[in-house]
Amino acid sequence: MLRYALNRILLLLLTLLGVLVITFIISRVLPGSPVEMMLGSRPTPEQIEAARIALGLDQPIWVQFFAYLRDVLSGDFGTSLRTGQSVISDIGARFAATAELVTVGFALALAIGIPLGIHSAVKPNAISDHAARSVSVIGLALPVFFLGLLFQLVFHGQLGWLPLQGRIDGDVMLDTPFDPVTGFFLIDTLLAGNLTAFGSALAHLALPVLTLAAATTASVMRVTRNNMIEVMSQDHIKTVIAYGLPTEKVHYRYALRAALVPLLTVFGLIYGYMLGGSVIVEYVFDWPGIGGYAVNSVITNDFPAVTGVTLVLATAYLTVNLAVDLLYQVVDPRLRVS
Amino acid sequence: MTSRGFISRALASALVIALSLTAAVSSVRADTLVYALYDDIKDWDPAVAFSLEAILLRNVYEPLVRYAALEPGDPSDTPPIEGVLATNWQVSDDALTWTFTLRDGVTFHDGTPLNAAAAKASLDRTIALGQGAAFIWDGVEEITAPDDTTLVIRASRPIPIDLIASAQYGAYIYSPTAAENGTDWFNQGNASGTGPYTVAGWTRGQQIVLEQNPDYWRTWEEGQFKRVIMKVVAEAATQAQLIRSGGADFVTLLPVDLLQRLKNDADITVDLAPSWINTQALINTKKYPTDDINFRRALTHAWDYASIATEIYQGTADVARGPVPATMWGHNPDLPAPAFDLEEAKRLVEASGIPPRDRKISAAYVGTAAEVTNSLLVFQAYLATIGVELQLRPGPWGKIWDDAKNLRTAPNMQVLSWWPTYPTPADWLQGMYRTEDPTLFNLAHYSNEEFDALVDQARALESTDRQAAIDLYARAQQILVDDAVAIFFADVSARYVHRSDIEGVEKNPAYVGVDFYSLRRRQP
Repeated sequence: MLRYALNRILLLLLTLLGVLVITFIISRVLPGSPVEMMLGSRPTPEQIEAARIALGLDQPIWVQFFAYLRDVLSGDFGTSLRTGQSVISDIGARFAATAELVTVGFALALAIGIPLGIHSAVKPNAISDHAARSVSVIGLALPVFFLGLLFQLVFHGQLGWLPLQGRIDGDVMLDTPFDPVTGFFLIDTLLAGNLTAFGSALAHLALPVLTLAAATTASVMRVTRNNMIEVMSQDHIKTVIAYGLPTEKVHYRYALRAALVPLLTVFGLIYGYMLGGSVIVEYVFDWPGIGGYAVNSVITNDFPAVTGVTLVLATAYLTVNLAVDLLYQVVDPRLRVS
Repeated sequence: MTSRGFISRALASALVIALSLTAAVSSVRADTLVYALYDDIKDWDPAVAFSLEAILLRNVYEPLVRYAALEPGDPSDTPPIEGVLATNWQVSDDALTWTFTLRDGVTFHDGTPLNAAAAKASLDRTIALGQGAAFIWDGVEEITAPDDTTLVIRASRPIPIDLIASAQYGAYIYSPTAAENGTDWFNQGNASGTGPYTVAGWTRGQQIVLEQNPDYWRTWEEGQFKRVIMKVVAEAATQAQLIRSGGADFVTLLPVDLLQRLKNDADITVDLAPSWINTQALINTKKYPTDDINFRRALTHAWDYASIATEIYQGTADVARGPVPATMWGHNPDLPAPAFDLEEAKRLVEASGIPPRDRKISAAYVGTAAEVTNSLLVFQAYLATIGVELQLRPGPWGKIWDDAKNLRTAPNMQVLSWWPTYPTPADWLQGMYRTEDPTLFNLAHYSNEEFDALVDQARALESTDRQAAIDLYARAQQILVDDAVAIFFADVSARYVHRSDIEGVEKNPAYVGVDFYSLRRRQP
């Protein structure tokens, strides 16, 4: 087990090095000068030249690469040309926002998607199955930005129930401050015993989470359904049904458990994908997360930020998948024996 | 309780909590102004900032003097400069020494008193850093502070220090005590000016909160905003919804079609006012086939000026006359109105002698500007009718600017929006058209000794004989029109979009954004 984990971590590091090389090269050979981004609207030739030298852009690309590698290994991802802040602190400020959004959205998607999938699987072709599948098709087919705008129009524009954008109310944040311990506002506000801020954070989270969960729920439901149908037709399930065990117990205790191993892989991939793929939701709701940061960095050719954010997202994605692989050992007793 | 029962109950109660809290969440306090920005502030150091930061800085910092807003239709030949931190100023006969008398009893937000030594330290630092817009002070030889209220700026050649000191970038006076902490300190969201608002908090990528400066040298009255929240809202549709619902009092990023829709809402005021931003399509004077003057002139006649201003800009821009906006002092009002005349264009193309197979040109522009894209599509269609093929090359600014500077990769036409760093026609004439080596913003790659000489002479006369300068600038503008170095097509209007209960919005072309101090909320 330990050896397996070590092997996987080594592989992860090698993959990251590959990611680093590729993003470094792509961001450096892209046409266009990033210098102007740094210098505001009307730089002088002297300022441009000074900035090029300061950024090391006058050096050969391999010199730039090794300098960058050295910095990254010592934990320095450079300074963002667009925000003027250190890339690490930029990412730090935004990563928790994305993680909170994605985690809550993912939990909601699982909470709805798995029971729905099981329900569809045990009553295939019933009306409720068709209904659930139709809804899931709609969830998958509706573009996320459209759904987000629709929710905004209905719940903010028409009903006035929920806030339109942002992560927390400006006044609340200022009048009842709380310490950013975990970066998850829901947790931090509760730790501080600050219910006003908790309510504001929760209300702001509602629409982006719903939007994000809508598409994901559909995927979760369909995968669960397919796997459950397969498991339900197997002999050991037929046996427990024949023994007359309660239906709930058969579905959740025996069938779901057997279906869980392939599901875990998919869920791991979905979660990892959501971390980088929540860009559109973040954009529509002005969620100050990592996705929007990545997109803006790419658009403005802010190469230190692009490389930094790619590395962080790749690390997160690979870590989630590593965690899933290790979870197999927990979920599937056969793997522990071998 | 089963686990499923627990989950559904938890979800239900979460929803109830969320819904019950929303009423409190979405209301804005009457004494708070919410201003939607389209991007976060990057450079907090007033010596470095050179972009949309001006929206924030103008409310936190103050310059020595400012450009006063003009009523529409006012003659603009004499720039109306008025004192802010300076109460009085004089220029010596040789136009080299400027003496400012500073306002008494002003303190910076950190408690440091404003005196001549502080102002000197602030300007000296901006000049020494040499970043952002520091170049506006080029020609300043020495700044001295003979006593607490007297600041003397000596220049090596005549330069209009009064105009320069009114710039929206690079001319703010900040606390020397604070500045000792360096640019990094500013960039953590810190500020220390003398302005009406202090920075109370910055949440990166989300919002900046300003609060009334209790020690401000002007008096506060009932009804002025106690707090201003500058919210980062990147999406235009979200900004539109936010102002509709009252979640924002001002929005800053709206495409023209949304603007037309908001106009119909009685709760929202959409005002247009002259700005000093103009947009032109520079024509490359060195690259074949636009190096031919007849060919260039033909292009200027194939542009449907009036329709583009009314249909595409939907009235948010006026047809430009020449390179300098009509409301900037020194604009030449005698320039001929540009004429859309396809017959004439066709005749000029033939007269150019460029063979039909070579009548192909390219135009580069920032791809996100819908008005520019649509204008060029119209232009492309008209050019096709006279046998000229226009290839459109949209792109991000960083890339197209890089291409345009280099003659080998430059397009035949480059669309460029421009605004001045301080109020002078020279900003356009020198910045975009004076001979440059290497090329920076002269993206028409234009070089004309007579023009260069006129601009140089006019600049030297700006502070001593403004009328003579205006005459020289007028001749320089005529030369650019005669040489067809650009299609001057849009004097863009500033858009002030706010809730209708906001009053006191000062529309000043010299500064972006609004002066929060002058705003009030009308009580229902």
